[in-house]
Amino acid sequence: MSSVAESLATAPFPADGVHPRDLLTSEDCRQLLFQLYLARYFDVRLIKEKKRGHLRGTLYSSHNQEAVLVGSLYGLEPTDWISPIHRDMPAFFLKDARSGLRNPARMGMSIQEVCAQIWGKSGSPGRARDNWSHIGSRSKRIIHSTSMLASTIPVAAGIAYAEKLNRGSSIVLTFNGEGSTARGDFHEGMNFAAVHKLPLVCVIENNQWAYGTPVELGSPSPDIADRAKGYGIPGLIADGQDVHDVYDKVKWCIDYARSGRGPSIIECKTYRAYGHGDHDDDRANQYRSPEDIAQGRARDPIAIAKKALREKGCEDAEVLDKYCPEGKSASEVRDEDFPPEVVEYLREGVQYAMKSPYPEPEEAAMWVFHEEEE
Amino acid sequence: MASVIDTQTVKKNYLTALNEALHEEMERNPDMICMGEDIGLLGGAFGVTEGLQERFGAERVVDTPISESLIVGGAIGAALNGKTVMAEMQFIDFISCGFDQIVNNLATFHYRSAGEVAMPVVIRGPGGAYGGGALYHSQMNEAWFCHAPGLKVVCPSTPYDAKGLLKSALRDNNPVIFYEIKELYRKRDIEEPVGGPDDLVPLGKGAVRREGSDITLISYGQNVYHCLSAADRLLEEGVRCEVIDLRSLVPLDEDTIFKSLEKTSRVVVVNEAPMTCGFAGEVLARIAEKGFELLDAPPARVTRLDTPVPWVKPLESFVLPSVDKIVDTVRRVIRF
Repeated sequence: MSSVAESLATAPFPADGVHPRDLLTSEDCRQLLFQLYLARYFDVRLIKEKKRGHLRGTLYSSHNQEAVLVGSLYGLEPTDWISPIHRDMPAFFLKDARSGLRNPARMGMSIQEVCAQIWGKSGSPGRARDNWSHIGSRSKRIIHSTSMLASTIPVAAGIAYAEKLNRGSSIVLTFNGEGSTARGDFHEGMNFAAVHKLPLVCVIENNQWAYGTPVELGSPSPDIADRAKGYGIPGLIADGQDVHDVYDKVKWCIDYARSGRGPSIIECKTYRAYGHGDHDDDRANQYRSPEDIAQGRARDPIAIAKKALREKGCEDAEVLDKYCPEGKSASEVRDEDFPPEVVEYLREGVQYAMKSPYPEPEEAAMWVFHEEEE
Repeated sequence: MASVIDTQTVKKNYLTALNEALHEEMERNPDMICMGEDIGLLGGAFGVTEGLQERFGAERVVDTPISESLIVGGAIGAALNGKTVMAEMQFIDFISCGFDQIVNNLATFHYRSAGEVAMPVVIRGPGGAYGGGALYHSQMNEAWFCHAPGLKVVCPSTPYDAKGLLKSALRDNNPVIFYEIKELYRKRDIEEPVGGPDDLVPLGKGAVRREGSDITLISYGQNVYHCLSAADRLLEEGVRCEVIDLRSLVPLDEDTIFKSLEKTSRVVVVNEAPMTCGFAGEVLARIAEKGFELLDAPPARVTRLDTPVPWVKPLESFVLPSVDKIVDTVRRVIRF
């Protein structure tokens, strides 16, 4: 993993010498750790449910990549737009988490909605018409994705273009993997966004593997952020295992976009813990060497967040040592490794999902066309 | 009052009709924007968007890079954020470069969102052969999009319909793929008065262009004129053809088709796209399924051969439907 201390400096970072991370309060730091617990527990809970045969479709684990989601989302305003992709399921309920996870008015999905979607029930925001991460909400400003990777980037550019036209102040943050940046849609979207200086933040989760293809076969540079040079926009690199570093760089990009200076690319270096999807777990242990896997998983984002809290002196060691899922695989970790409020939050979601009915079969033929014309 | 007289009497060409529709809808809907290649400064490769950027500004009439996927994806995003979007494909052939965004993203958005999201997006552009445009400036690829649930597909053949259908499309909350026929843009002998700002032609309604009792010719786009010429020639032989201009492919006006077949009991479908899995085949399939007992003769179609559209005239003419081919086919169906 390359050095992550400095940006690629196509623009000054930080803008005025103040790092956004330095403005985080103790409460912010505790909240970031809490959200990491939440994302991790959500993931391991799903892995267990999937293994029990309760879930249909493919699980794309975000294990070991949670800091990218948590750190990126934490810098957003409630009315900002996001587009998560397949590995970003926790983003749906982490968006605008600061307004209160159980606050029905917040601009993020409830855990009930997210679980109902995963269980394929009618309580899903998309009424289980498309699977897993392919949900969204226009009203909550979460963009629906498709399986065609990078297809959200032109869409994000269009939202940002309209926002500029509306003289609005919201920005759009897209998540994509490093593999997506090889697609034409990535270029077409970023190029247009750069031409018009649109408020778009393009977060790249470089987890080193696009399904079974290593990053060196997908990009001539090991640093995806290099792609920003061609657009004349900032290209930053963050340590994707370090939630504070992700927050620092992404928040800077968010502020940069909101102030009208245009889009940016922020590459978060991370590592995919398991297979591309759960169907690929065994093969991923064959096409990736044990050393590669061990190195990629050596720096658990929860451990790194705890270290930062210790160094800042904003949490007692006793509290930090109480819940320790870090370094444990999904099969090793237990509910006791997580704060009870995390376990309880998921329990509410899973219970709702299990009770929610399946959609009526006739619904399958609905909403092909919008019925009333203007 | 001057404008009323103007609307009612002055003949306009197909291109002017489209241009008027865009001007009027941009005026009417402040949330409408236009995106496309060379549509602003230049006014469009053919001039369909002429004067729009001058009048409504470069923010609402955007000259995009050569990026069809961005044009469509950007239109989706703008629609999510409250806009109605006209997205131009410089040639409808180039729509293939935006194909994924259209069929997987735009077409399915309303479905995937369980009705939360509407997509008021019109993708329009010039299509059609007969002008020596060769493989990549001659296509009629409408069947690709008729096959993607969630899209409406339209193809006007007259100036009045061009204006009225485009206005309806721009007021519809569904994505519409709008096929213009570039050979008709400036065709003098089809000029006619067009409607005013609130005269719409509804999507999903065909038009009977000529009444007849012996056989029904079903077509759209410039093949409508080939059918009308064939009908003139066949009348000399005593065969009275009814000619239907479908205008909308999705939704399809089956009523107009079956009403005509009840009268004629014979049918030939004409279109310039390739035969296999083309829209002519879809029309014939519906007739076979729902109107078999109406028929006194096997139905037939006249389409392009299953080839690309070649460049030079002898080659191009060889593969495309023509008045001669239609006349021959009608004679065969009548003789049955």
